[in-house]
Amino acid sequence: MNTLKVTIQKSGLMRYYSQLDLVRILERAARRTDLPFAFTQGFTPRLKISFHNGLKLGVEGDILATFYFHEETSFVRLEENLLPQLPHGLILKP
Amino acid sequence: MDWAQFQKPQRYIGNEWNAVSKPHDGRLKICLCFPDLYEVGMSNLGLRIIYGLINEYESAVCERVFLPAPDLAGYLTQTGTKLFSLESKAALDTFDVVGFHLGCELNFTNFLAVLELAGIPFEPSRRRDIIVMAGGLVNPEPIAPFVDVFFLGEFEAKAEEFMEVLKRYKGREARLEAFAHIEGFYVPAYYEVATGEGGARLVPKTPSVQFPLKKVHVKDLNTSYYPTRWLTPYTQIVHDRAPIEIARGCPHHCYFCQARCVYFPYREKKTEYVLTQMEEIYASSGYENLSLLALSASHHSQIEEIIDGAGKLFKEKRVGIALPSLRVDDIVGRLYPRLAALKKVSLTLAVEAATVELREKINKHIDVDAVFEARDVLRSLRLRTIKLYFMFGLPGETDEDVVAIAQMIRSFQRALGVKVNASINIFIPKPFSRFQDVAMDSPENLRRKRQLIQKELGSFPLRRYHISFSTQERSFLEAVLSRAGREIAPVIFRAFVAGARSDSCEETFRWDIWEEAFRDEKIDFRQYTTSVHPRFNPHYTAGGAV
Ligand code: SF4
Repeated sequence: MNTLKVTIQKSGLMRYYSQLDLVRILERAARRTDLPFAFTQGFTPRLKISFHNGLKLGVEGDILATFYFHEETSFVRLEENLLPQLPHGLILKP
Repeated sequence: MDWAQFQKPQRYIGNEWNAVSKPHDGRLKICLCFPDLYEVGMSNLGLRIIYGLINEYESAVCERVFLPAPDLAGYLTQTGTKLFSLESKAALDTFDVVGFHLGCELNFTNFLAVLELAGIPFEPSRRRDIIVMAGGLVNPEPIAPFVDVFFLGEFEAKAEEFMEVLKRYKGREARLEAFAHIEGFYVPAYYEVATGEGGARLVPKTPSVQFPLKKVHVKDLNTSYYPTRWLTPYTQIVHDRAPIEIARGCPHHCYFCQARCVYFPYREKKTEYVLTQMEEIYASSGYENLSLLALSASHHSQIEEIIDGAGKLFKEKRVGIALPSLRVDDIVGRLYPRLAALKKVSLTLAVEAATVELREKINKHIDVDAVFEARDVLRSLRLRTIKLYFMFGLPGETDEDVVAIAQMIRSFQRALGVKVNASINIFIPKPFSRFQDVAMDSPENLRRKRQLIQKELGSFPLRRYHISFSTQERSFLEAVLSRAGREIAPVIFRAFVAGARSDSCEETFRWDIWEEAFRDEKIDFRQYTTSVHPRFNPHYTAGGAV
């Protein structure tokens, strides 16, 4: 499985959304793209993603995350496709 | 504003995916309100249809507001801040129209709370520009004294006329007068209530206004508006999936049912439209769960094609597709191979009455035996839980019928080996249902029957089932509020002033407040539940539904 470590920057109104919300936001955004994201197995498949740190509700800052893919995917390609699907206040950094 | 000081600030941000924000200047401003918390209101399809539809008009902007939770409500009151819309954070009283979705009678006090928080006067005569509109009600009378104009039926059918009136006429009075002359709109100020023999009647004050009042509906579900740029929340909501309506109305005629009359007549959406909308909604939202919505999905003449088509579209996409209203004989019979391909199947059975005899009396046709005959098939569908709906207090019900509810819960659990979630509700005679004129069972009897069920379940291990009973007092209140006339408005107001809120919710419902409000207004609430109250008289026709 291919992985990509990225930094997700949370700012503005997005700081009021929790880590659980962020999973939801990223999964739905990912589903709106054609990128080869990996999903978990099982009854309710979810986007495979892991966070390496968290932020308190109401706090702006960076979250380090790993995305998983079926095929090799570059940061440039990820950003090009996923960023337009993200709300204002979320950006991706390599 | 620092939203972090409130619980679940996500409720108030208003920047969800596909939320519409347009500049206000020069546009007609409409704010839609579902008077319950964000996560409940956002699960309502009607609200989404109207939101999307009005925003299609370049000349209009439509925003949303929900009931603020007690912490934000307290803050607004203390700081003298007026309640505002989610999108632009503009105070509600700066809009031309605030439109309330009031499908649930137990939200009446929340409706008044929103008016108060927004600084909108309760009496229409004291309002300056704003128009308070309400829709989704079957019986609008109990809150008629607080509302400028009701919409009766499906808004899609008259959206054009609605916009036209707001464009052509300036000022509240002129607009209300125009509405009063259009089918589907009911402006209470143009009518008075005459009481006499045979109950209360609505009498128009001017002969030219709409009379008798009529509910309107869209003729063709294929061409009527459906929101496909799906407003996708960033936080969890109660029904966290995107529904695609495949039919409206119901061809069956269960005698207790109000829904079939509310959504009368029965109309279907063709497969091609269903599939296109599914595709568009998924593409615009990325929702991991979709559902095919109908009161009775099995009856759809193209249900097989729809399931096949959906299966093909979403095969590789790991999308859950729910079909909440299939008949059980279809699930185990003709639709089984197709459903198995969808992977995720939930089983919800509105059994309503546990014996064949009682089901006969209420005209509910459901083949419960099919479940037991097909237990192996059902087990192979990988069901996680099954959900059963029952009613008690039905006309013609015997103690055996009641005890049979508990027995049926046990047999379902044993046959399928999964946890059973049962919801056991008290029968309420709702207006426009066939049973609208029958009396509710007495409180003593209902209490006794509930004990019968609990006793019968007795030693059955709790982890195998979960039961929720509807609260008796709340069911009585719901009956009163759905059957009463305008005379009840002062009671609602009193209960609101005394602090009644979110009456539909177990934790917040306060029967003591309501009891006192009835006492203070010298209205005996029992008169509405023991038989047809002489004042109860639906003021409009449901389109030949009864
Ligand atoms: S209860 Fe009966 S009539 Fe009502 S929607 Fe369900 S099947 Fe149709």
